[in-house]
Amino acid sequence: MATLTGVLARPSGYTGVWSWITTVDHKRIGILYGFTAFAMLLIAGLEAGVMRSQLATADSELIGPGVFNQMFTMHATAMVFNVIMPLSASFFNLIVPLAIGARDVAFPRLNALSYWLFLFGTLLLHAGFLQNQAPDAGWFSYASLTEKPYSANAGLDFWALGLLVLGTSSVAAALNFTVTIINMRAPGMGLMRMPLFIWMTLITSILLILAFPVITVGLIELTMDRNFGTHFFMPQGGGDPLLWQHLFWVFGHPEVYILILPPMGVVSEVLPAFSRKPLFGYPFMVFSGIVIGIMSWAVWSHHMFTTGLGPVANSVFTITTMLIAVPTGVKIFNWIGTMWGGAIEFKTSMLFAVGFIALFIIGGLSGVSHAVAPADSQQQDTYYIVAHIHYVLFGGSLFGIFAGIYYWGPKFTGKMFGEGLGKLHFWLMFIGMNVTFFPMHFVGMNGMPRRVYTYSAESGFQLLNSLSSLGYIILFFAFVVFIINFLRSSKNGAEAGNDPWDAPGLEWSISSPPPAYNFAKIPQVLGRDHFWIVKELAREAGQGPVQAEAHVDERTIHMPSPSYWPIIIAFGVTWIAGGILTHYALSFIGGLIAFVGVVGWGNEPASAQSDH
Amino acid sequence: MGFTPLGSARRAAEFTSREDGGATNPPRSRFIKFLAISAVLLVLTVACSQGDRSTWNPAGPVAGQQLQMFNVLVWIMVVTFVLVEGVLVYAAIRFRARPGQERPPQVHGNMPLEIAWTVIPTILIMALGIWSVIELWQLDKPPASADYVLEVTATGHQWWFEFEYADAGGGKTITTANELRVPVDTPVWVWLESDDVIHSFWIPRLAGKVDMIPTHRNRLWFQADSNEIETLPATFLGQCAEFCGLSHALMKFEVTVMEQDDYDAWVASYGQKPSLSAKGEQGQKVFNANCSSCHTTSGPDAAALVDGRVAGFLAGGNIAPAPNLTDLATRQKIAAGILDLNEDNLRDWLKNPNDIKPGNWMSARAPFYKDGENTLSDEDISAVIEYLISLK
Amino acid sequence: MAHAVEPAPHAEEEYTTTGLNHRKLLMWVFLGSDCMFFGTLIATYMVYRGQSLNGPYPIDIINVPVTTISTFVLLCSSFAMVQALAATNRDDQKAIRIWLLATAFLGAIFIGFQIVEFNAFKNEGLTLGVNLFGASFFTLTGFHGAHVTLGVIWLLGMAVLAFKGRVGPATALDVEILGLYWHFVDIVWIIIFTLLYLIGGFDTGPLPPSGG
Repeated sequence: MATLTGVLARPSGYTGVWSWITTVDHKRIGILYGFTAFAMLLIAGLEAGVMRSQLATADSELIGPGVFNQMFTMHATAMVFNVIMPLSASFFNLIVPLAIGARDVAFPRLNALSYWLFLFGTLLLHAGFLQNQAPDAGWFSYASLTEKPYSANAGLDFWALGLLVLGTSSVAAALNFTVTIINMRAPGMGLMRMPLFIWMTLITSILLILAFPVITVGLIELTMDRNFGTHFFMPQGGGDPLLWQHLFWVFGHPEVYILILPPMGVVSEVLPAFSRKPLFGYPFMVFSGIVIGIMSWAVWSHHMFTTGLGPVANSVFTITTMLIAVPTGVKIFNWIGTMWGGAIEFKTSMLFAVGFIALFIIGGLSGVSHAVAPADSQQQDTYYIVAHIHYVLFGGSLFGIFAGIYYWGPKFTGKMFGEGLGKLHFWLMFIGMNVTFFPMHFVGMNGMPRRVYTYSAESGFQLLNSLSSLGYIILFFAFVVFIINFLRSSKNGAEAGNDPWDAPGLEWSISSPPPAYNFAKIPQVLGRDHFWIVKELAREAGQGPVQAEAHVDERTIHMPSPSYWPIIIAFGVTWIAGGILTHYALSFIGGLIAFVGVVGWGNEPASAQSDH
Repeated sequence: MGFTPLGSARRAAEFTSREDGGATNPPRSRFIKFLAISAVLLVLTVACSQGDRSTWNPAGPVAGQQLQMFNVLVWIMVVTFVLVEGVLVYAAIRFRARPGQERPPQVHGNMPLEIAWTVIPTILIMALGIWSVIELWQLDKPPASADYVLEVTATGHQWWFEFEYADAGGGKTITTANELRVPVDTPVWVWLESDDVIHSFWIPRLAGKVDMIPTHRNRLWFQADSNEIETLPATFLGQCAEFCGLSHALMKFEVTVMEQDDYDAWVASYGQKPSLSAKGEQGQKVFNANCSSCHTTSGPDAAALVDGRVAGFLAGGNIAPAPNLTDLATRQKIAAGILDLNEDNLRDWLKNPNDIKPGNWMSARAPFYKDGENTLSDEDISAVIEYLISLK
Repeated sequence: MAHAVEPAPHAEEEYTTTGLNHRKLLMWVFLGSDCMFFGTLIATYMVYRGQSLNGPYPIDIINVPVTTISTFVLLCSSFAMVQALAATNRDDQKAIRIWLLATAFLGAIFIGFQIVEFNAFKNEGLTLGVNLFGASFFTLTGFHGAHVTLGVIWLLGMAVLAFKGRVGPATALDVEILGLYWHFVDIVWIIIFTLLYLIGGFDTGPLPPSGG
């Protein structure tokens, strides 16, 4: 069946590479995000390994500054934009429709588009490596170092343009999930009955929608400075380098909450399941998340305490930054309250969730010490900050994400992960993480700045640096163990069944893996922790264990059809950006491709007639 | 039935690595873990360096007060950590499921408790915040009682520090680079500027850092206290603390704190004509022919001269702002605090500066460098070195 | 076999938690995002007011009377858009076509004014690179113009559908969503016009350094 603008027939079917390229199924898109992000995790992890090898000894000549500067830039940029965010996006995709009782997201093709934009944006961001011109000015790339006189090669253009494409991906996804969560909840699921992970997804999505445009403008202005002769951040033309910092951090601070709120949501799902009691203080958990989201806009200049804003500004941001610790602390207390009085089962997922809390406490506390501007003037731009970052993002976000992988993995693979290897993975990661990053608090306060490719023997930094490099090796093995566990379990793991953890969420009421249509019958939600209520009612009525919802013939449920327009549009958009680096004609062609794609999409119904 | 208590036998057998589920012998293994963690913490506490660039080793009131604030924060962090982490660990242990345990009471929350643990931290945090703000304002300027404050302007360049004293003493203007000399027990007010990218001025033992931002005129102050310093003159290490390009890691400076008399003597002797041997005179000629468009050796740099160098650099010319080398031989180090000043190092530096400081603008812009190698004859280079070590 | 037709009926009848259609909600949320986008561009302009190192300055360039006309034209286009939606709701096929075309036409006139205006500015020496005023002015108004242009293309596409008889009460939502976008773009212009023309348009040279 030909479409108005398409020469190719509308795809159908669920097998083969083409089916993955044209998929609009949120579960498949979640898997695509997950695998791509995990591959980027390994790459960014190797970049960290390069750095730790160089820093293991004083005056090392292993890696020169040119390469080292690319390493710390790309390690951080990739971890933030190509690992943590898409791993969270993977969870949004896999879980949100299942947890709210929907058959898919509100806009399946937009969903696919956001994945392809993510993939192509990531490739564009990294394309600089092919020409040894990877970005090298740090993940927040302060002006005026990023201007052409001081960064003559194309690295920063790859950075800015790659991030612009990635930004469109994130906003597209966030728009989709906002509408999905607001508008597609099953009957009976009022806002205060939503699983906490869904709340965190909603808040994160709203933050994404509002924060990304700010950095988009910054990146556009930087690209214009570098390529079109403007002087937004160029001192020589009257521009103020500090404007870049304001624009970046007005985005950047909500961004770090974008990085931590979804893993906090995961932990809020895992703890009740394995403590066998509901989340403690659900309303406070919801409101603290909302308050964090709102307050995240009021603290950005704590990244700029040393830029000479003056004592008034520094005072204001000290206060607001200290205040944002309160809702964060409330969450920690509520999590402990969830465990308190429970009957805790320490499956691997639970270990990671508790590990998250333990490590996030440390990261959060060092964050409070940064809030005090005079103390921060000694900490800023040293390894003390690097320690904080990694405690909250590695000990926090990544541990939370692994908690989610072990928790929900069986739902999508249908197989249980090996608990033995899982626990080994946890302990290696927990110990390795502390060995690597705890010493950094000290070496930073001992005087080691960040982003230095070497340090002298007289500095006395060697011992603590060697310790950190040793910790890296432990972490390396942790990841090896995880990969082995994942591969083995996916092939040979025991059958998971629909509800291996006896958990409260809607997603556990359907088979593992779920059918393409998710729910044969959209459920009527009975309350918070709906599936626990269902099971309780069944027990009281003397019925047997609640089985997974029975499958029905897929053809009786009409689902959105696959489409090739998303990947085409993503391709076009990437070329709009890429053309600025090569020939403007390519930008124009990219724009045309994207335009044709949009028209094609607009003419294509959400599902093909023949798929009814 | 609908929900199974802690793992069926089959699952337990397959998936728990500790068959006893941790039920046997918990207290001793936990005690060992506690000891191990304490030992680690003790070791790491010892890891607080008392070295020449450590924030734990203040030598003046600004760094001292900043450390005091940090120490208060450390205590708060440690106490909070022990309390909260302790409760977490306790809960994790105490409430582990026992085999066959029934579902626990389904508690949904405790409103009074949650309100309490929201309000009380808010009050504590506000107290901490108010105290922080008070200290912040106190630290902002030197005490009003100080009768004399030395003013210096520090300008960041890729990858060296320029120091200019509009009035070092008796109205004398001084321009120097990479070594900042100050008298002890005197507040020093530093204006911070940059001609290219953002740098940061940081002397860990004397004061927290402030950034040097093009088009901005930031400032900080510090003072070296004689009762914190064993012997004078004393040297404190400074380092650039904002990533500024290829050789950011190699952009250091030193602060030499001196007795007032020694400082005054230094000011008086600054810029005096050096006495040169014949080779030194030859070196001076080579220097004037090749180096003096960027480097000044005869006293302070006029602002217009530096501006011209910056403009020439930005236009892509064979020029760049470069360290003022007046009285070079009185300095301890060269190349921004990374090499001891001696003939061998000077030779290495002049012959191939890119090996020492990748990306440096001297070998990139000076016309007598080709592919980073100095094309002047060895004789000329030796003469220049002779000249340079005579500059005092 | 089938050619592209209206969206599958299921889409519009689909149960939604709030009762709001998905696509309408999407447009509202997107406009929130676009607010931040324009807000940041406007903030850049405001921060750099009076900071240009050299001319031409706004007073030398900005022509309030002429731009008032183009602003009025854009406002009229919003009126036309409202009429187009009303016509759609009452299934007046002829009016639908006229008003959609009118909206697109007025939008195109606005763009025409922008092009002529910018060209004139360029001839008077205001370019992207000449000073901060040029950079922030052209970037902000340029992106706004791009939004208007995309809107005009969308309107023309909708007009094509109208001429095929495919715009009517059953598809009124499409027109409404387009209307939301169009009115947003108009409101942004009102803000830009007020700040850059009515207020900032009289800026002469660098502002005196402020006290703090």
